[in-house]
Amino acid sequence: MQTDVGSPIETVTASFIYAVRYGYSDTVIHNDNQLRVFPRDGEGQSACETNIWSIPAGRGVDYKDRFGNQVRRLRVIEPHTTFIVAAGGSVSLSTEPPAVDDVPVTDLQNLPESFEYTSVSPLVEPETLADLAAGVGGGDDGLLATVNSVVQWVYQNILYKRGTTSVATTADQVVAAGEGVCQDKTHLALGMLRALKVPCRYASGLITGQTGETHSWVEFFHPDHGWLGADPTRGLILPPARDYVKLGVGRDYTDVSPVTGSFLSKGEAEDIAAIAHVTLDESRPTLAEALELLERAYVVQNESGNPVAPMERPERDR
Amino acid sequence: MVTTTLPKSVQFYSEWQDPDGRIREHYAGLATSAEALGFSALAQRWSSARRQVELDAVTFYLDPGSYRPMPTDFLPRVIPVAHWETIAAGVSQRLRAINRFLVDLYNDGQDVVPDEVIYTSQYFYPEVQGFRPPKDVFVHIYGIDLVHMGDGRYVVLEDNLRIPSGISYQLKSVGMAASLFPEFSEGYDILPYDIRDAYLSMFRSLTDNPEPVCVLLTDGKYGSAFFEHRYLSDLLGIPLVEGPDLYVGLDGKVYVRTLDQDVQVDVIYRRVEDLDLFVPGLREAYLDGKVALVNGIGTGAADDKLVFLWAPQMIERYLGETPVLEQARSYNLADMDSRRFALENLDHLVIKTRQGYGGLGVFVMPDLGEGYKARVANNILQNPLMFIAQETLDFSQHMVFNEHTGSLEPHHIDLRVFAVQSGDGSVSVFPGGLTRVAQSGSRITNNSSGGLCKPTWVVR
Repeated sequence: MQTDVGSPIETVTASFIYAVRYGYSDTVIHNDNQLRVFPRDGEGQSACETNIWSIPAGRGVDYKDRFGNQVRRLRVIEPHTTFIVAAGGSVSLSTEPPAVDDVPVTDLQNLPESFEYTSVSPLVEPETLADLAAGVGGGDDGLLATVNSVVQWVYQNILYKRGTTSVATTADQVVAAGEGVCQDKTHLALGMLRALKVPCRYASGLITGQTGETHSWVEFFHPDHGWLGADPTRGLILPPARDYVKLGVGRDYTDVSPVTGSFLSKGEAEDIAAIAHVTLDESRPTLAEALELLERAYVVQNESGNPVAPMERPERDR
Repeated sequence: MVTTTLPKSVQFYSEWQDPDGRIREHYAGLATSAEALGFSALAQRWSSARRQVELDAVTFYLDPGSYRPMPTDFLPRVIPVAHWETIAAGVSQRLRAINRFLVDLYNDGQDVVPDEVIYTSQYFYPEVQGFRPPKDVFVHIYGIDLVHMGDGRYVVLEDNLRIPSGISYQLKSVGMAASLFPEFSEGYDILPYDIRDAYLSMFRSLTDNPEPVCVLLTDGKYGSAFFEHRYLSDLLGIPLVEGPDLYVGLDGKVYVRTLDQDVQVDVIYRRVEDLDLFVPGLREAYLDGKVALVNGIGTGAADDKLVFLWAPQMIERYLGETPVLEQARSYNLADMDSRRFALENLDHLVIKTRQGYGGLGVFVMPDLGEGYKARVANNILQNPLMFIAQETLDFSQHMVFNEHTGSLEPHHIDLRVFAVQSGDGSVSVFPGGLTRVAQSGSRITNNSSGGLCKPTWVVR
C-alpha cells in the first residue's frame, strides 16, 4: 500500500533586498552589532539563499537566538564614518491559504509558549492594557475571534501616522497617542492579546511587491497549527503568506531589530537611511542594486543633536 | 580590652572563632598579640596606619571623579596551608581550562558553551577568530573571587580575565601590616612569594627577545586603579606609559617614545580595555603578531557571568579532570525552565547583571526589601539574557577591629586570588590574596562598593 506523503505545497519565489546606511559625525573606532536580516526558515516560508554585505566588511559570526532567528554578530574595527549593511536573497513562499479551525482561548493556558509570550517585555506591558483588552475581545470568544477583534480594533482606532512615535514607544503610550506606525500597532495588538492570555509574538519583515520600509505584524499561537499571522496595520487576520518575507520574530521590536548594537566614537549617529525591496521573481539581488536602492531611501536625520543612544537607533519598522 | 566573643546565635561560619566562642587555633597567636597591645594602643596605631595609607596615596576610585584611600583593617586574615593547597590547585586548574577554551573558541570553534550565550557576550570579539596568541596564552594574569563556606570549603563566585585589579592592595596591606604591627606576625610562618619575579619571567616567556622591552599601559591618573598601575610599574621596573607614549610604526611594530629615541616594545602589560582608543592600530599590531599583550584581546568572552556557568564543563573537557573548587550554583535565565525557577525562588537568589563589575548590578535578594522583588522580577522578564541568578551563599565572616568601641565585629569577607600563567603553560598562584570585607550586614565585598581590605597570610 502506498503511503500518502501529502501533496507538495504550492510556492512562489520572492527576491528581497534590505539595506541600511548609518552616517556618523566623527570617526567610529568600532561598531559592534547583531544583524537580524536573514529570512526565517519555516512557517510558510523557506529561505533559499541569502547574502549579507557590510561596508566596511568587519568580521562576523553566525548563530541562532532563542527565538530561532539566524543572527550575525558583526564587529567592524576598521575606522569609518559611514556604515552600510545590506542583505539580499530569495525565499519561497507558500501560496496555500491556511485552513484553520477555531479553538477556545482557554486551550492556550498551559502551553510552553504561554510563559514567554504572554509575559511583560521591554515595550509591551500587558497589565496596562487589561481593561482595554477586556472591552474589545476575549470572554467566551474563540482564539480566531479574539485575535480578529483586537486586530480590527487597533486597525480602526489607531491612526497610521509617521514621526510622532519612536523606536522606544511602548504599547500603552500608543493607546494614549492614538496614532503610530506599524511597529506601534503591532505592539498594542500584542499587549491586548497577551492581556487576554493569547501567546503572541512580534514578526518583522518586508512586504512583497513593495519598495520602501520594513514592516511588522503579529503572530499568535494556535495549538494545532503553530504560529499564525495577523496584521493590525492592514486589518487582516491570516493574511496570505506570499505577502511577507519574514526576517525575525521575538517578544517585541527590541528582540528583532534588524540592526542593533553599539559603536565607539567621539561623534554621534547623524542620519540613517533604510530600504526594503521585494519582487516576486527569481532575480539574484546584488550589492550594487542594494546600494542603488539606498540612494533613493528616505533619510532620517538625528534632529535632537544629541548622540543616538547605541541601543536606540531611530532606524525602525514602519 | 579587646572583646573577642560573639553571641552564640551566630549563623555564619566565623574565621576567627569556633561556634563555642573559642579562638581558632591559627588565630590564637594573633588574638594574644592584640590582647597584649590593648585597646588604646591598637586604636592609636590604627589611626596612624590610616594616615599612612593616605600619605602613600593607596587609593581606589569610588564614584566618577572621586578617590578615597583604601580603607584597611589591619587585623590579618590567616589561611591555613592545608586550605591553601586546595585553593591553589583549583585556581591553577581553572585558569588552564579557561585558557584552553579561549584558544578553541577563537580557532577551531568550541561546543561547551551554547552559541547564543557566547556570541552575545559583549567581550567576544569576532576579529580575534583565527588568531593564536604568543605561546597560546590568552590569560596571563587571572583574578578569581572565592568565598569560604567553612572548614576549607571554598566556592568560586567570579572569574576576572580581562584586567583584574587588586594585587597591589594585597601586597601593600601585607607590607604595611608587617611594618606597623610587627607583633602580629610573631610565631607565624607565613608563606613567601615573589610577584616581581613571576611577572617578569612571564613577560619574558612571551617573546623571543631575551631582553624584552615591557611597558605598563595605563588609562592615566583619572583611571580607577591608577595607584595600582603606578605601584606595579615601580615594582616591576617597567615604564608606565599612557596612550600617546606609544604608536604603531609603518612596519606595524609598536614603539614607545623616549627622550633619546623611539624603542620597539615587545610586551605591553595593558591596563585598559579599549586599546584602539588609546593607541590607534594597536589591536591590529597584536593580531599581526607584532607585540604581546597581557592579557590578550577577547578574554572577556570567558569572564562574562553567564559563560561562568560552563566553567566546570571546560575543566572536564579540556583537562579531563574533576573541578577542584565548587562554584556557586547559577542559572541561565534565557532558558525558560531556569527563568521560571528563578522567578519562583527569587527570595533565595542573587541576581547579577551579566556584564556588571565592581559590585554594580548585584542584587542579594534575601538582604533586600520586598519592594525590590517586583522590580527585579520585571527586569528579568524583560531582559532575561542580561542577568544570571545565583544561589545565595552564607559565606564566612571575619572580625574587624572597631577603633572607636574597641570591639571586634563580624563582617562577611571574600578572597580574590591572583595567578600568573607563563608562555610554557606553568601557573603561579600567589599565596593569600586580597581579602575584601563587606560593610556590616552586607554581602557585597567589592572595594568600589565601599568595602575594606585585609592583609592576608597563608601560614604553615
